[in-house]
Amino acid sequence: MAGYLRPKFLHMGLTAALLGLAPAAALAQVNVGITVSQTGPAAALGIPQKNSVAQLPKELAGQKIEYIVLDDATDPTKAVANARKMITENKIDILIGSSATPATLALVDVAAETKTPFCGMVPTGGVVRPMDEKRKWAFKAPQDDALLADALADHMVANGVKSVGFIGYTDGYGQGWLDEVQKIFPAKGIKITAVERFQRTDTSVTAQGLKIVSTNPDAVLIVASGTVAVMPQKTLREQGFTKTVYQTAGISTMEFVRVGGKDVEGTIFPAGPVIAADLLPDSHPSKKVSLAYIKEYEAINKSPYAGFGAHLYDCGLFMLSGVGAALTKGKPGTPEFRAALRDGIENQKEVAATHGVYSFSPTDHAGLDKRARVLIKVVNGKWTLLP
Amino acid sequence: MGLFSSNRAVWLGLILAFAAIPLIPGIPDFWITLWDYIGLYSLVAIGLVLLTGVGGMTSFGQAAFCGFGAYTTAVLTSQFGFSPWLTLPFSLATTGLAAFLLGLVTVRLSGHFLPLGTIAWGISIYYLFGNIEVLGRYDGISGLPPFTFFGHSLIDARAIFYLIWLCVLLAVILSLNLLDSRMGRAVRALRGGSQAAESFGVNIPRVKLVVFVYAALLAGLSGWLYAHMQRAVSPSPFGINAGIEYLLMAVLGGSGYVLGGVLGATIVIVLKDHLQNILPKLIGADGNFETIVFGILMVAVLQLSRNGLWPLVQRLLPKPAEKTVDESAPALALRTMPERGALLLEVAKARKQFGGLVAVNDVSFAVKAGEIVGLIGPNGAGKSTTFNLLTGVLAATSGSIRYRGEDIAGLKAEAIAARGIARTFQHVKLVGSMSLLENVAIGAHLRSGAGVLGSMLRLDRTDEARLLREAARQLTRVGLGAHLHKPAASLALGQQRIAEIARALCLDPALLLLDEPAAGLRFAEKQQLAELLSQLRSEGMSVLLVEHDMDFVMKLTNHLVVLDFGEKIAEGSPAEISVNPVVLEAYLGGVE
Amino acid sequence: MNATIALYLAQDGIINGAIYALLGVTLVLVFAVTRVIFVPQGEFVAWGALTLAALDAGSVPGTAWLLVVMGIAATVLDTLRQSKTITLHAIGGMVVKDIALPVLLLLAVQAIAPGKPALWISVLLTLALIIPMGPLVYRLAFQPLADATVLTLFIAAIGVHFALIGLGLVFFGAEGFRTTPFIAETFRVGVLAIKGQSLAVLGVTAMLLAGLYLFFERTMLGKALRATAVNRLGARLVGIPVRSTGRIAFALAAAIGALSGMLIGSLTTIYYDSGFLIGLKGFVAAIAAGLASYPLTVMAALGVGLLEAFSAFFASAFKEVIVFSIIIPLLIWRSLKAPHSDEEEE
Repeated sequence: MAGYLRPKFLHMGLTAALLGLAPAAALAQVNVGITVSQTGPAAALGIPQKNSVAQLPKELAGQKIEYIVLDDATDPTKAVANARKMITENKIDILIGSSATPATLALVDVAAETKTPFCGMVPTGGVVRPMDEKRKWAFKAPQDDALLADALADHMVANGVKSVGFIGYTDGYGQGWLDEVQKIFPAKGIKITAVERFQRTDTSVTAQGLKIVSTNPDAVLIVASGTVAVMPQKTLREQGFTKTVYQTAGISTMEFVRVGGKDVEGTIFPAGPVIAADLLPDSHPSKKVSLAYIKEYEAINKSPYAGFGAHLYDCGLFMLSGVGAALTKGKPGTPEFRAALRDGIENQKEVAATHGVYSFSPTDHAGLDKRARVLIKVVNGKWTLLP
Repeated sequence: MGLFSSNRAVWLGLILAFAAIPLIPGIPDFWITLWDYIGLYSLVAIGLVLLTGVGGMTSFGQAAFCGFGAYTTAVLTSQFGFSPWLTLPFSLATTGLAAFLLGLVTVRLSGHFLPLGTIAWGISIYYLFGNIEVLGRYDGISGLPPFTFFGHSLIDARAIFYLIWLCVLLAVILSLNLLDSRMGRAVRALRGGSQAAESFGVNIPRVKLVVFVYAALLAGLSGWLYAHMQRAVSPSPFGINAGIEYLLMAVLGGSGYVLGGVLGATIVIVLKDHLQNILPKLIGADGNFETIVFGILMVAVLQLSRNGLWPLVQRLLPKPAEKTVDESAPALALRTMPERGALLLEVAKARKQFGGLVAVNDVSFAVKAGEIVGLIGPNGAGKSTTFNLLTGVLAATSGSIRYRGEDIAGLKAEAIAARGIARTFQHVKLVGSMSLLENVAIGAHLRSGAGVLGSMLRLDRTDEARLLREAARQLTRVGLGAHLHKPAASLALGQQRIAEIARALCLDPALLLLDEPAAGLRFAEKQQLAELLSQLRSEGMSVLLVEHDMDFVMKLTNHLVVLDFGEKIAEGSPAEISVNPVVLEAYLGGVE
Repeated sequence: MNATIALYLAQDGIINGAIYALLGVTLVLVFAVTRVIFVPQGEFVAWGALTLAALDAGSVPGTAWLLVVMGIAATVLDTLRQSKTITLHAIGGMVVKDIALPVLLLLAVQAIAPGKPALWISVLLTLALIIPMGPLVYRLAFQPLADATVLTLFIAAIGVHFALIGLGLVFFGAEGFRTTPFIAETFRVGVLAIKGQSLAVLGVTAMLLAGLYLFFERTMLGKALRATAVNRLGARLVGIPVRSTGRIAFALAAAIGALSGMLIGSLTTIYYDSGFLIGLKGFVAAIAAGLASYPLTVMAALGVGLLEAFSAFFASAFKEVIVFSIIIPLLIWRSLKAPHSDEEEE
C-alpha cells in the first residue's frame, strides 16, 4: 500500500488498477463539498482541516476534482445549510464535514436523504453506528474514543492503576470521552473516583483539582485540548498530586510540552499514528503517508500541522478511492455515480492513511483497528512511543 | 395596522406571488432552502417584534424557547415514536409553560434588568440542554423523522416551504390582529405608556406576560419546525449567540413592525449567504471574514437607519387605510352614577411619608357627586402626591380614602379605575406612534372583555367596533373629532391634554381626576374646556381638579381645597378662598 | 470539604473575582457615561493577552496593523460626517494623531518584536496598541449613535463584538496562547500555595481600583465623567463635551481590558474568543450592582468569583448554570429596589 504515499501516487495507483475500465469520455468533474468550522468554538479543528484541502488530489482517473469549502461557524444549522447549498448548487458527489459532533450528526441525515457519500471528521460512534439504511452513506475518519480509551485502560491495568480521577471539558469532547471511560474502565476493574468538568475558557480549575486529589486516585485522566490541558495538570501538581497523569490526543501539539514544562513530564496519551509519525517503526503502514502529509502541510501553510487536519486528509484518501470504479457506472453529478462511489468506498480494504489503516465493510464504516492508535509518553520534554 | 383588512387584494396578490416562487422552473433549490430558513427565523423575529419592538421588553432568550419546542418534539419522536404532527401541542405546551414560569420572574424586571435577565437564563438554559442526559447532552439528538403529508415526506425544501410559510403567514395575521385589538392597544402602551394604561385598568404584568408567552410560543413553533427540517437538535442553535442573532433580525428589520421581523430575517440570512459567496472572491482568502463584515454592516445599518429597514420598504407599499369607525355600533353600557349631592370621595387624614419627609400631612377633604372640586396650592404643596394617593400610584402611609363608601387606599391603579375613577396626567402620557383614536380607546379598556385569543381570531369585532365608536364619540365631544387618525405625537401639547380627557371619559367615570388640564392651552381652548367640564358636571359627573390657572379654577369649581407644605390650610367655596387671609398669605399673596 | 480546601477555593474565587471586578467596573463606567452596554469588553481582554503573547513569541501582532486601519477609517469617516464644518486644521490633527502615530507605533513594533523584547517593554507596547482602540471603536461605532436608545446601542455593541471577534481570529488564529507570568514564583503561606501571578492580579486590581477612585474623586476629568454619568444633558449644558467623555470612557475600558488580559494570560490559555465568557461574568457582577455602584460591583464580582469556585467544587458540570442562574433572584431584588424606569427609556 506504499502507493498511497501521497496524492500523486494515489492517483497513479488507482489509475493503474483501473486501467481499461475508466471511460475516457467522462468529462464532468467530481465535486467534493466540505463544510468545516473555520470559526466558532471548533475553529482550532476546522482551520487545519480547511488547510489540508489543498493537499488532496486535484485530478483522479482523468477527472478533475473540484473542492468547495464552506465555513459553518461550528453551528449545526449552518452546516446543514452549507451541505444543502453544495448538494443543490454544486452537485457535489462527496460530502465531508464537520469539525464538531452535533453538526456532523446532522449531516448524516442530509447525506442519506440526498444519497451522497459522506465522511465525518469526529470520533463519535453515532456517525456510523448502528449501521442502518441512513448510515449506509456515512463513513468516519477519526478513531472511536473507545479505541483510544481502551488503549489507556490497558496501560492502566498493566501498570497497576486501580482508580482514576476524570477531569474533562463540559462540551461534547469531554462528554464523548466520559461516556466511553465510564463504560470501559469499570469493565477492566478501574474505579472512577471523581468526575469533574471545566470550560475551555475557565481561568482556573483549582476546585476541580482539589476534589479529585481528595479522592486519592492512582491516576488522573484529563480530557482537554491544546495548552488548556496544561492548566488542570499544573493545578494537580501544585496540589501535590505526583502520580501518573493521562491525557488525550487533544494535547498533541508541542506547545503543550513547551507551556507545561516539568509539570507535564511523564504524561501519557493515546493518539493516531500521525501524531508520532517520526517515532513510528518503518514497518508501520501509516508512517510514510503521515510523514509526507506533515511535510507537505507545513510547507504549504508555514505552520505546524495538527492531527485534526489529517482527518480531512484521510477522508479524502478513502472517499476518493472509489472514483475510478464509479466512473464506469455513471457520470459525476448523477445518483448512479454517487451510489457506485459509495459501494466502492465500502469495499476498500487496507487503505493506509495518516490516522491508521482503513478497511471498510457493509457493517463497519469506521474501518480502523488497533493500528490506528499509539501511546505516547512525554519524557524529558519529548515524545516517546510506548510499546 | 389593519394591513390585511385594507388592501386585501394587493396583499393577497403578494402572498400568491410568493407562494408561486417554488413552482417557477429554474429557481435554484438552494434559494428555496434559504427561504425555508428565513421562514423559521421570521417566526421568532415576529415574536420579538411584539415583545421588544412593540412591548418594549428586550429578550435575548428567544433561542432558548426554540430549544424547548425543538427538544420536546425531538424526545417524543425519537424516543416515544410520536408522529411529528402529534408533537406540536406538546412542543407548544412545554414552551408555553417554560415561558410562563420564566416570564413570571422576567417581566417584573424593570429597565435594563430585563434584557440582562434574559441573557442570564438564556445562557443557563443552553448549559442545561448540554448537560441533560435524555436530551443527548452536547451531541444532541439526531435522526429525527421528517414531516410526512399523506405519505409524502416533506424532506424536500420545496415541500416544507409551504408548511413553514403557512406558519409564518398565520403568525403575521394573528400578530397583526392581536395588535389591532383591545389587548393589542394595551401591549402597544407598554412602551412608554404603561402608567397611563394601568390607570385605565390594564393589568400591566399580565399583559407583559401574555406578550412574553406569545413570543415564546412563536419561537417554540419555529423550534418544532426546525427539529424536523434539520432532523437533528443540539444545544448550539439555542444558545445566547442565536438569541442575539434573532434580536438583531428584529432590530435590523424594524422592531416596531410585524413584517419588519420577516424583513430582518430575510436580510440577515441572504446577507450571510452572499457574504459567503462573495467574500472569498473579493478578499482572496476564504472563511473568517464573514463575521467581521457582518458585524461592520450591522453597525452601519444602525447608523444609517435607526428604526430598521422596514420603514424604508413601507414607503413602497400601499398605505394602510384609516381605521373605520362604525357609527352604528351599539353604545357601550353605562355605569350607574351616584345620586347628585351624595358623598362620593372622602379623604380622611391621608398621610404620605417619604423617609423623614412628610409630603402629605393628614389631609382630609370630600368630593360630592356632581361637583367640581379644585385642589390648589403652590409648587411643592403636595397636590401631585395627593393625586397619586387617590389614583393608587402611591400607597398612603396612613389615613383612609373612601370612595362610594368603600376604602380604596392601597388598591392598585387598575382596581381604582375599575371603580369608576379616571384620570389625566400632568405630563401627557399618550403613545406617540399610536393614533389618537386608539390612544383614547385604551380608556374604555375595562368596558369590554375581548381576550387575546378572540382578538387574534377576529372574534372581537363587535366589541371592538363599540369601543372605537365610544372613543370617536368622546374625541368628537372634546373637539378633536377631526384628528381621530393622526398619531398622537403629531398634535400640539394642549390638544394632547384634551385627548387625555377624552381617554378618561371613555372609562365612563363617576369621578374624573384632572391634573393641570388647562396648562398649555390657549384662551379659547380654555373656554371650551371649561364649558366641557361644566357640561359633564351637569350630567352628574364629579371632577377633582389640580390646576394652577386661578382664573380657570375660580370660575369653574364649586369647592376648593388649598394645600401648602403638605397640609390643608383652607377649604371652602371659591369666593371664600379668594378672601381667606391664610391662603392669600401663603399662596395668592405673592402673585396678586 | 475541609478548611484547607475552603481556603484554596476562597483564594481561587478572589483571584477570579478580582478580574471580574475590573471588567465589571469598566462596564459600569462605560454604561454610565455612554449608555452602551459594552459587550466587546471581553475582546480587549483577549487582545491584551494575545498581543502580549505574540510579542513574547517575537512576532508582530495583527493589532498593530489594525490600529493603523482603524485610525485611517476614523479620520476618513469623521471628515465625511462633518464635511461642512470641519477645518483643515482638525483634519491635520486627526492625520497626525490617528494615522501617523499608529504608523510609527507599527514601525516600532516591527523593529522591536523580532528581538523578543523584555516583558515590561512588551507590556507597554501592548497597552500602547490596545488603549487607542477604545476611543477609535467609540468614534467608529457609537459616536454617531450617541443619542439612540439603549437597545440600539446594545445591538451596535453586538455588531462590534462580531467584528472584533472575527478580527481576533484572523490575527491570532484559533489556537490559544499563554503569556509569561509577571511573577513566576509560588509562595507558601501556611497550608496555602499562592502563585506570584495571583498576587500580581490582586495587586494590579487594587491599584487600578484605587487609581479609578482617585481619578473620579480628585481630577477634573474624572468629575466631568461622573457628571456626564449622572446627567448627560446637564453635563453638556455646563460645557462638558459628551463626545470626549465617551472617548475617555472607552480608552479606560480598553486599558483595563488589556491589563486584565495580560494578568490572566499566564494563568490560563487565552483564545481569540475567550474574552466573551470572562466579560459576561464581569457583567453578572455589574448587573448585580445595578450597573451603577462601583464598590457594589467589586463586591458582587468577588461574590461571583467565590460562587464559581465553590460551585466548581460541588457540581463542576453545572457551574455556568449556577453562576448565570444566581443572577435572576439578584435581578428581581434589584428591580424591586429600583424605581420604575420603564418610562424613562422612551
